[in-house]
Amino acid sequence: MPREIITLQVGQCGNQIGMEFWKQLCLEHGISKDGILEDFATQGGDRKDVFFYQADDQHYIPRALLIDLEPRVINGIQNSDYRNLYNHENIFVSDHGGGAGNNWASGYHQGKNVEEDIMDMIDREADGSDSLEGFVLCHSIAGGTGSGMGSYLLETLNDRYSKKLVQTYSVFPNQMETSDVVVQPYNSLLTLKRLTLNADCVVVLDNTALNRIAVERLHLSNPTFAQTNSLVSTVMSASTTTLRYPGYMNNDLVGLLASLIPTPRCHFLMTGYTPLTVERQANVIRKTTVLDVMRRLLQAKNIMVSSYARTKDASQAKYISILNIIQGEVDPTQVHESLQRIRERKLVNFIEWGPASIQVALSRKSPYVQTAHRVSGLMLASHTSIRHLFSKCLSQYDKLRRKQAFLDNYRKFPMFADNDLSEFDESRDIIESLVDEYKACESPDYIKWGMEDPNNMMTGEGSAAGSLDPKSEV
Amino acid sequence: MDDEEEQQKLPDLVKALVHHLLSQNLPPNSPPLNPNSSHFRNSLRYAHRILSSHLSPSITPDAAAVAESIKRRLATEGRSSEALSFADLYTKFVSKAADVDNKWALLHLFNIISQDRKTAVKSQLDSSVFLPNLAISDNNAVKTPRKGWSDGVVVLAKDPDNRRDIAFREYVKLVKEENDVTEEAMVTDVLYACQGVDGKYVKFDNENSCYVLLDSVRVSRGTTGMVYRLCELGVLFKKVIGYIEQSLGRFQTEDVGTVGQAFCSALQNELSDYYKLLAVLEAHSSNPIPLLSESGNSVNYLSLRRLAVWLAEPMVKMKLMADLVEKCRVLRGGAMAGAIHLHARHGDPMVHEFMKRLLQRVCSPLFEMVKRWVLEGELEDIFAEFFIVGQPVKAESLWREGYRLHDVMLPSFISASLAQRILRTGKSINFLRVCCEDRGWAHAATEVAIDTGATARRGGFGYGETDTLESLVDEASKRIDKHLLDVIYERYKFKEHCLAIKRYLLLGQGDFVQYLMDIVGPELSGPANTISSFKVAGLLETAIRASNAQYDDPDILDRLRVKMMPHESGDRGWDVFSLEYDARVPLDTVFTESVMARYLRIFNFLWKLKRVEHALIGAWKILKPNCITSNSFIRLQSSVKMQLVSALRRCKVLWVEINHFISNLQYYIMFEVLEISWSNFLSEMEVAKDLDDLLAAHEKYMDSIVEKSLLGELSQSLYKSLVVIFDLILRFRSHADILYEGIHELQAKITESSLSSRAQQKTRKQSKDKSLDEGSWIADGRKALTQRAGEFLRKMEQDLDAITKEYTSLQEEFISQLPVQQHVDLKFLFFRLDFNDFYKRVVS
Repeated sequence: MPREIITLQVGQCGNQIGMEFWKQLCLEHGISKDGILEDFATQGGDRKDVFFYQADDQHYIPRALLIDLEPRVINGIQNSDYRNLYNHENIFVSDHGGGAGNNWASGYHQGKNVEEDIMDMIDREADGSDSLEGFVLCHSIAGGTGSGMGSYLLETLNDRYSKKLVQTYSVFPNQMETSDVVVQPYNSLLTLKRLTLNADCVVVLDNTALNRIAVERLHLSNPTFAQTNSLVSTVMSASTTTLRYPGYMNNDLVGLLASLIPTPRCHFLMTGYTPLTVERQANVIRKTTVLDVMRRLLQAKNIMVSSYARTKDASQAKYISILNIIQGEVDPTQVHESLQRIRERKLVNFIEWGPASIQVALSRKSPYVQTAHRVSGLMLASHTSIRHLFSKCLSQYDKLRRKQAFLDNYRKFPMFADNDLSEFDESRDIIESLVDEYKACESPDYIKWGMEDPNNMMTGEGSAAGSLDPKSEV
Repeated sequence: MDDEEEQQKLPDLVKALVHHLLSQNLPPNSPPLNPNSSHFRNSLRYAHRILSSHLSPSITPDAAAVAESIKRRLATEGRSSEALSFADLYTKFVSKAADVDNKWALLHLFNIISQDRKTAVKSQLDSSVFLPNLAISDNNAVKTPRKGWSDGVVVLAKDPDNRRDIAFREYVKLVKEENDVTEEAMVTDVLYACQGVDGKYVKFDNENSCYVLLDSVRVSRGTTGMVYRLCELGVLFKKVIGYIEQSLGRFQTEDVGTVGQAFCSALQNELSDYYKLLAVLEAHSSNPIPLLSESGNSVNYLSLRRLAVWLAEPMVKMKLMADLVEKCRVLRGGAMAGAIHLHARHGDPMVHEFMKRLLQRVCSPLFEMVKRWVLEGELEDIFAEFFIVGQPVKAESLWREGYRLHDVMLPSFISASLAQRILRTGKSINFLRVCCEDRGWAHAATEVAIDTGATARRGGFGYGETDTLESLVDEASKRIDKHLLDVIYERYKFKEHCLAIKRYLLLGQGDFVQYLMDIVGPELSGPANTISSFKVAGLLETAIRASNAQYDDPDILDRLRVKMMPHESGDRGWDVFSLEYDARVPLDTVFTESVMARYLRIFNFLWKLKRVEHALIGAWKILKPNCITSNSFIRLQSSVKMQLVSALRRCKVLWVEINHFISNLQYYIMFEVLEISWSNFLSEMEVAKDLDDLLAAHEKYMDSIVEKSLLGELSQSLYKSLVVIFDLILRFRSHADILYEGIHELQAKITESSLSSRAQQKTRKQSKDKSLDEGSWIADGRKALTQRAGEFLRKMEQDLDAITKEYTSLQEEFISQLPVQQHVDLKFLFFRLDFNDFYKRVVS
């Protein structure tokens, strides 16, 4: 009963980062590209069965579903060294292979059409596990497949596996450069609604910040997708180490997330990682101590989410929760000292309406992966400044919506048929209420928030009847 | 001086000598010496005086010695050839001149003359080389010898009337008159007394246990005192010999012990010297005591005074022996050796030497025992004399209780730490033999024996060679202990078992614990007496198979068992369930029952904590972000909506607080208690040199865990409040369950009603007949529903409020206790619990 986690990688971006993630897991567990355990991988102590299962011939097979509406990326995987790793029955490519054309509605609609096929695959995987803990969805929120189809899958999973956890690794688009996807704000907004209502935890991977980190921290002048993706896979694998290397605490996803997400709706997590390296890149090796790592994790420049906050807002921003996963040879006494130091220096600003502290999980490092650093750390944190990212999404959406631009693409699909754009409005309301809740978290009176104004509150909560038919009232 | 003729000759010879000397010293051209001149007569008289004086040189009357000294002098003066020829001449002289008496005197004379001449040469007194004093008047006679006769010859004035002889005779007469008994008889009696036998006049008085002179005998006071003093030796001797006889008599029947035997034999040895002396003295005592006037020649006689001198040394020894005998009468074995040793530190080298001799014999059985013990682990001690005693115990307590130091028997020349090492070394061997079934130690012991040469000399070291003993013990303990630790670490995998205990009993193997909690949870919720331990054991097995524990060494997994503690009525399964680890011989020496009982306590605490955590996570799961309860209450009255939102918010906020508390408590347990204690333990394990070190390290490890997990004596109040908090949290969990069940039910009803109302609408469109009835029912239902929901939520809110209040006060109490704990550092826990100063703010 290993508390299995099934990974769904949807769309181009989802499959790319998923691919990197599996590569990393294989390395860490000593599993070859064909899924065979390497001879040297005998040290044990790791739990492979959370993410893998063994075929009859002892091959390790990822509990992963590769889903896309166009074949390019998945073909790439199938032609790569890792082609034998995956279960071929778990690969879904749309018959027509035409993709979703960067249209959320198209992706959503196609998802609906192939629901049965995909749910069959998911059910099969779920039946194959003893005590399924939940699902991890890898996708981007800006495109068509990952966002639209991903959204549909989220709703379906929520409906069908309501007791299971759903965590997503959601790539937010790069806001700094003009995207080739002009309808990106629409797609993001519609996806965000599902992330808010139908996911238990969203790990925000902000491409803007990833690029910035690649440029500033890794000194790459023009970071490629592969390079930013390797950052993502580092984060993903690090955030699952405590599940893969069992210890006294944090051995399952629910335990990990429960403390991170005290308020159900504020379940968007930021990540930070240090020290960062990218494959084949010689980096300056610094002295790494637990204190160094923990201190650096709190620095904005290492956070993989851009802060769009103005200075005044930024000073108001507060941590709701922090979990630092420290990997490597760590003397437990150092944790104590580091926490004390951080507290004395007031390096971290926590919410005032409840008790909160930095949680630290110590985890082993894979013995098969050589790193230059003795200690490395991943931070998962719920921070109120993330609301500025959503506000940015809202404002971009508003700009586009005011111009009524590109809406025709959406009207072609049933959800928006008859010029029914209420889905947009509803999504906007929900995101706005989310932003409000984050803002409320910054004040000591969060507990009373929304009580004085039940109607406003209710629009927030009430309209969130995602999985139920919102139009039942009408 | 026997012949008449010779007696006649002597004065003539003396006259001729004087004449010769005087005529030689005559100044030239003076008239020949007149034998009748006054000068000549004076000189002659002087010569007579010299000759009849009792001059005796201050050297021993030994010809060989004098010859030797002459030879040596010649040699040192660099006249070695002369020395050689002197030696040659001397041997001829000794062998041929057999009839010459007083050879030594002759030699001495020659020697003096030669030296005298030399002095004379030096002082340029050539005119009066010989007998210069003859020319000097009587008055100066006392003064002159200092100048010329530097050989220390004392000149006694010869009493011309032999007054001294007369005085002596007078004295003897006086003595005879004063004493009934002659001195010879006294001496004989004293000698008897010294052998513990009654004499004619000196008898042993049992009452005062001393020798006394018979009252009827009249002797002088001085003699009485002397006799008494000398007879003390007899008393002492009686004591010593009495002890020896007593001990010898008991050899068979009672346990005198080998040390006692050795002591007796050593005493007898010493006594044999004493006997020899007595025999000699007895022989001497047969010689008559000469009068003082006749002294000089007769040496081998005994007077009381001489006896006193002779017996002075035996007296000291005898006193010591008697003293020892007195001290040791009730002692045995090592205690006896120790008692004797206390007398050995004596400044007098004679005594010191004597004691050393004695101790060497007394201690040799002890040292032999030490050697056997240290090298072979054999406790060969039938008389219970050794300072280590064994007792038959079960294998698991062999190390702790099997052997101990018998302090009384520990001789003081073996220090306590050395004794400990000796004890441990032999114990290690026995432990290896009995508990580890190991033979490898013999090899190590042999090496030690070879290295220290202990086998080459059997009994090769003894008293006074404590250094040798120490180095043997050191060497042996070093090797044996190392071997023992190797066996413990490698063959019996001590570290692995410690780690296994940490992983299973201290819940370090998270996935296993979690799974176990999942599957035994439902079982344990039942009453304790209904739980089948067989079933629970099966579940444990399942948990092992399902977690990473399955990859563990089967030997380790085999030792992991379920233990159901004795239960009282009303106990739930949770109260009695625990895990235990079967350490088995020899590791049960470390993991004794009491140690395992402490592990059990720690397990119970951690298990409780885990259960609470499990419950909390479960609560989170039902109110997790994407759960349906947060949605779809649109059609409720706004007041009910408010109630709902408020109830949910309360529940969540309380959850946050509780979760914060529990997870930080867990972090504290993990970092500050388990991991730190473990890493300290590991480093102490590294430096442990023997099993005792290892035991101490483990003990420290346990202590630190127990103390820091608030399970110690001094933390009872903290622990109690924790338990109350835990119970409250479990209550909270069930309330949360009820709340969510209620909400789910409500939701289902609403969905149902909305569906039916829609259906109704549809039917109304189709057939308008039945609509009224159903509509009213639904309307009624809706109203009732709202009302019921309102009531339910109100009640939930009240309950939650109550729990929150209770929890807040309990937690405040707990936190407020933390900073005042003296015995354990809870700063970490304290500052973690209030990391963001929330409670500080609440208080202010």
